[in-house]
Formats: sequence, C-alpha cells, structure tokens
Amino acid sequence: MAFPLYAGVYLQHTATIILTYLCLALSWDMLVRTGQISFGVAGFFGIGAYSAALTALNLKLDPLLSIAVGGLAAMAAALVLGLTTLQLRGMYFAITTLALTEIFRVIVRNLPGLTGGPEGTVLPSAIFDGDPTKTYWLLLAIALVTIAISEAFQRTRVYFAITSIRHDEMVARSSGLDIFKYAVFVFAVTSAIQGIVGASFAQQYAFVSPEGTFDIDFTLLPIAMCLLGGMHSTLGPIIGALVLGSVAEYLKLQLPYGHLLVYGAVITLVILLMPQGVAGKMKEQFVREQ
Amino acid sequence: MSALPRSRRYQIAVPLALFIVVLAWWHPYAVIEGVQRAGLYAAIALPMALILGIVGIVNLAHGDFLMLGAYLAYWFAVHTQGDPLVAILPAALGLFLLGAVVYRATIKHVIGSSELSQLLLTFGLAIVLQQTATLLWTSQPVSINTEYTSTSATIGSLTFGTYGFVYVAAAVIEFAGLTFFLQRTRLGQAASASGQNPVGARIVGINVDRVYLIVFSISLALAGAVGVLFLTRHAVFPLVGGGLTFKSFCLAAMAGLGNLRGILWCSLILGLAESLVSTSKEYAGWADLIFFVAIVAVILVQSHRRQVT
Amino acid sequence: MLAVRGIDNYYGKLHVLRALTIEVGRESVGLFGPNGAGKTTLINAIMGLARPARGEIVFEGRSLLGLAPHQIAHLGIALVPQERELFPLMAVKGNLESGAAHIPAAREKMKSTMEFVFELFPILKQRLGQPAGTLSGGEQRMLAIGRALMANPKLIILDEPSLGLQPSVVTHLFGTLKEIKQKASILLAEQNVRQSLKAIDRGYVLENGEIALEGDAASLAGNEHVKRSYLGL
Repeated sequence: MAFPLYAGVYLQHTATIILTYLCLALSWDMLVRTGQISFGVAGFFGIGAYSAALTALNLKLDPLLSIAVGGLAAMAAALVLGLTTLQLRGMYFAITTLALTEIFRVIVRNLPGLTGGPEGTVLPSAIFDGDPTKTYWLLLAIALVTIAISEAFQRTRVYFAITSIRHDEMVARSSGLDIFKYAVFVFAVTSAIQGIVGASFAQQYAFVSPEGTFDIDFTLLPIAMCLLGGMHSTLGPIIGALVLGSVAEYLKLQLPYGHLLVYGAVITLVILLMPQGVAGKMKEQFVREQ
Repeated sequence: MSALPRSRRYQIAVPLALFIVVLAWWHPYAVIEGVQRAGLYAAIALPMALILGIVGIVNLAHGDFLMLGAYLAYWFAVHTQGDPLVAILPAALGLFLLGAVVYRATIKHVIGSSELSQLLLTFGLAIVLQQTATLLWTSQPVSINTEYTSTSATIGSLTFGTYGFVYVAAAVIEFAGLTFFLQRTRLGQAASASGQNPVGARIVGINVDRVYLIVFSISLALAGAVGVLFLTRHAVFPLVGGGLTFKSFCLAAMAGLGNLRGILWCSLILGLAESLVSTSKEYAGWADLIFFVAIVAVILVQSHRRQVT
Repeated sequence: MLAVRGIDNYYGKLHVLRALTIEVGRESVGLFGPNGAGKTTLINAIMGLARPARGEIVFEGRSLLGLAPHQIAHLGIALVPQERELFPLMAVKGNLESGAAHIPAAREKMKSTMEFVFELFPILKQRLGQPAGTLSGGEQRMLAIGRALMANPKLIILDEPSLGLQPSVVTHLFGTLKEIKQKASILLAEQNVRQSLKAIDRGYVLENGEIALEGDAASLAGNEHVKRSYLGL
C-alpha cells in the first residue's frame, strides 16, 4: 500500500482510479445485500461532486470539508428517496434509481446560475494542488473506511437484518426487525460513500459537468466489478475492482467506444453462467478439490 | 389483464375530460402536442407492459430494442433511398426473431430466479445493445426527413402538425390487437393464463416456456415497429432507449402491472402534463422530470395503500 | 395404467421419497399419510413438476420421466393441486375452458364435458361470469376439480381436496368422486382418511417417504394402525 512512494505518477493515478471504483463497487454491494439493487451510483457520485465543487467555489470551503459536504448531500438525497421508494418491491426502487442519474443531470443543466449549466464549472485549483501522491492517500483512506463499514455490516446486527431481508422477508418481519428502516439506513450510508467518492473526484480534477460527472461509467463499472468478483461479500467487490479496474484504463484507451460493451457483456454473462461471481466460482471449485 | 371497475373508470375519465377541455381552451397547442406524445408513449409502453404482465420480467432493455428497430429503418432508408416506413414489417420480423434468440439464450435462464438477477440481466442486455449500436453507428444522432411528417391541418385560426397522430393510431391499433390476441386467440388465452398462474398453466397443458418465448418476441417485434415510427419524427442515437424504458415502466406501474387499458389513460395524463410544461417558455427544460415525479407519486400511493390494507 | 416404481426424491439433503412404488389401474386409489409424508412430492413427480433422483414412472406404457408438465397433461393426467392454482382474474367460464382448450382431444368435447361439470357442481354455473379469485374456498376447489375434468383425463389426481373446507362441502365433494370415477381413474391424496375410505377402492399409507401399508378400503378401515393413527379410534 505504500508503493506510491516508489511508483511513478501514472501508476499512482491508476491506483487512485482503482480505489475510486473499489469504493463505488463495495458500497453498491452493501446495498445489494439488502436485496435492493441500485442503478443510481453515478447519480449520488454526481451529487457529491457538484455539492463539493459548488461549496468549495461559492462558500470558499476547505477542499476536505467540501468532500464531507458532498457525502452529506448524497446522504440527504438518499434519505428522501429511500424513505419514499424502499417500501415496495425491489423493481420500483431499481427503476427509480435508474432514472436518477438522468434526473440530476436535468436539474444541473437547468440551473445554470448555480451549476454552470451544460458547460459545467471549473474550480480554481485541484485538491492538494494536484499532488498525485496525496490524492492517492486520500482515496486509500476513504477505501479503508469503506471496507471497514462493509465488514461492520457483515458482522453486526445489521448483517443479520439485511441477510434476513434478502433470504426471507417474512422471517425478518416476524422477528420484529424493521427491515424498511435498515434498508433506508444502508442506502443512506452507501450513498454517502458514493457522494464522498464523487466529491473527491471533483476536487481531484477541479471540474464538474453534467455529462462527465454523471457518467454511466460510475454505475456500470462498479456493478460489473461486483458481479465479476462475487456479490454479497467484502472480498468479492475488492477483487473485482482490482481486476477490472486495472484493465479498465487500458480498455478505455484501446476501445474508446467499445469498453462499456465489455462491462455490459460481463454483467450479462456472469448472471447467466455463474451468479456467484468468477471469484466465488473459483472458491467453490477450490473447496471442491480440497 | 383486468380493466378497472366501471365506477373507478368514470372517476378518472370525467375529471380528465374536463381538464382536457379547459386546457384546450386555454392552450390548444399543448393539448394537440400532448395527445400526440401520449400516443407515442402508450405505443412504446404497451409491449413492455405485455412482458411485465405475462412473463413477469421488467425488461430494462425495452427501449434499446426499440432503438434497434429505428436504426434498422434508418439503415434501410439510407441504403435504398426509400421510405423508412417500408421497414416496419422487416424491423418487426427481425426483432421478433431476435426476441426468440434473446429469450432462449438469456431470459429463459432467469425465469424463476431472484428479481435481482432478472434486473441485472436485462440491464446488462441494455448496455450491450447501446454499446453495440455506438460501435456500429457512432453516438451521433441520426434522423430521416420525409415530406409527409410536416403535413398540417388548419381549424379556424389553429394550424398544427397532423403527422403526430400516427402515434395515437399506432397505440390504439396496438391496444386493440393485443386485447384481441389475449382474449380471443387460444395462444393469447394461454398467455393470460401463464401470466396469472404459471403453475396452473402448466398443469392444464400449456407449454409456458413457449408462451413466454412468443410473448417476448411479440413485444420486441412491436417495439421494433414503433421504433421505425419513432425514427420518422425523432432523432435516434444509441442511448435514446434508456429514457423510453423508464417512461414505459412508469406508465406500466401507474396503470397497475398488467393493465393494458390503464396505460392509454396514464399516457394521456402524463403526455398532457409533459407537453404543458415543455410548451411553456421558462420551464421547458424541466419537462423531463414529469415522469419521475409521477413514478415517485405512484410508489408513495401504493406503499400507503399497502400500509392501509 | 400408472406405475410408479422405486422412485427416490430428495429435498436438499432431506430424503423425501424412498424407493416408492405404487400402482393405479382403472380404479380409485387413496394415498394417505400425515403432513410431510411425501404425498405432494410424489404427485409433483408424477406430474413432472419435480424430478425424482431414481426410479421410473410409466403411464400407459410411456415413461413420464423427463417430460414437462404440459406434455404429461396432454397424455391424459389432470391434477387438482392443493393450492388449486386457478387463474384468479379469469372468469369461472374461462378457467373451465382453459382446462380443455390446450388439449386437442378435450377441446372437441368442451361443451358436453362442461355440462357434466355443471351436473356435479351446479354452483359453478351460477358463478360463470365471476372471476375465480372472488369465489369462496369451496367453490374454488370445485372449480379446480371442474377444470381438471374439462381435460377429459384418463387419470385425475387430487391433492388434499378437503383441506380447509367445511365438513358439509367435503361430504359433497367426496360424493362426486363416484361419478368422476365413471370417467377417469382417481388418485386421491388425503389426510381426511375417514371420508376418503368411503370414496376409494384401494389405498396406500405413506409414512416418512415409504409405503407403510397398502390394501383395499375395507382392510385399511379394519387395520389397527390406521384406526389408531388416522381414524382416531
């Protein structure tokens, strides 16, 4: 983890991007564990990014503080949305989040006075004056916190609550758990993570725009990563992010238009061939051979 | 595929009619535009609701199959210098066959799986379709101009485009056709039965898997045909389908899953609302939020109803 | 007519059916046993809704293993499931028609079979236009039996038809079995042994996935184990 001390700028940059996706993937998976599926990662990512950029610019907030604001803004949005939509079957929630990214984009485009409209907004300078090493440490810290939260969810009462939601809603209900409350809680926490990551991204590039910030990449890649690595665990999304994250940059260069096709194909094929994920499949095979 | 009880139908129809009359007097263009939009939305949503009601799957790639139909027509029109509308039948046929292949290769394997897998699968398909289209045709919007799309009519001092009513006609034909299919043909009755109770359908001798395949293919064929119509008046680009999928689902949810007639009414309400906002000068950009607000409202009403019962 | 030979079935690691063998001729056969004895599992295996791990199921000389439920229905086996499995939004008439519509041989006789169903269950004629989901439990059971009869089956399987019904309705229902037997063989899975014994020719007692006892109705009624465990004597 201390490798940036020796690595070049390009590697540091790649590692930072991988960590960014790792946080998004892991936070997406945490919500999946409750049986709800979100297609709105890019939306919360974008809310965080815009909130951070705008507060830093207009209120002259310290960049790190603005990142926290980004997380809070995303959390607030998730609370409002979660309280309304998480009460029904998963598909209503999923579809609503599917539209979310587009909705935020429409809002941002239509408030040019505040957000810079379709052209976006440029910040005077990037965080840490663009020092890639410090940026890497920041993302590493965020990633470690995310991993810790994920593990905490796996080991505490929350885990019991959310797995019972997934496995049997009736059992969860009859055991007196307010599953709706837990689902909203997890949704708020994971959206806050996505907001913080988005805010860091905005601070890192000192730029936000409707198209670049609410980019479908930020929804698509994390999902593909989780599926590849295996859902419902902390390790799966991490493995997926490391594997797919390292090739993502390469793919983007090689196939400027087609790289997203790879992720779509990954999602489709994993669901059809090995719903437990590639890593899960390998683990299963390993166990069988033992 | 049940319709609403008569009394509730009037509760919706009467205020809606009054609203339209008032609106027509105040803002006639918004009404004409709204009805045309409603036709388009209903025509797009009906096939999605068909899959939802019978196969029980939310097809998140619905709009992308429509996009594919539109590109087929575009390709046809460019290569033959012909009218894109000629491509309706080939596009429908092509998508019908594609539907059979896609069902066999993918959808069939998640029937009975968790909703999560189903949503992820059709989401993956949507991305594959969108990105394939980007590779084949780039992300630049394409459109076809034909003379007849600019035909207009004049009533009194009012001059308006009439071509948009082709979508209303399409929606009505689609609805009538699907209703006839589901109620009067043996295959359609088998489809209704499979939608209401797949186990029951199996034991009375229905090959549910084949029914699902045909329904899925019919839905895609309709989406493809509507895609061709869509191209005659709208620009088409690889990502055009996502928004249409979302709007279709909103309508299906608002109408009540599986209720085809309700989709006509709900399209009318949302089409009018959307055109009213988009024809106003200051707020035109916000029209895209109408469906989102509608779906959130529907969810709130439904969860409230669930708590009451 | 129907021969089930040595089938084993597992539910996860649970051994639900053990080397089970039963036979149904041109007769009505009872299948008794407590909850969880494997009655429904056996029926699902016959109907193609579950696949046994071992053994064979033969109907009129044809193996049913590997056939889908709809194919088995086409061969002439009709099921009245425990959960009835009606089409709730469809009217009674539509439900009845659905029983015959998808089986070519039954389709031609739809009208006359429906008359027969109305003779057995006149109430269905009164409810003809009503959605199945709005019927009472007893009416739904009658509709499920009616729908199965519409297929003109050679064998009709009834899975716990008395479940959740009033005693008077149960008596009526079991009374119709004699008339149904004129048309088809019957396999009747029941916990209500007392009533069933009056309606069947022969029966099996199924316990822990195995045949514990078999015999004709009279010998079962006289058996000490049956008396104690199932008739409460």
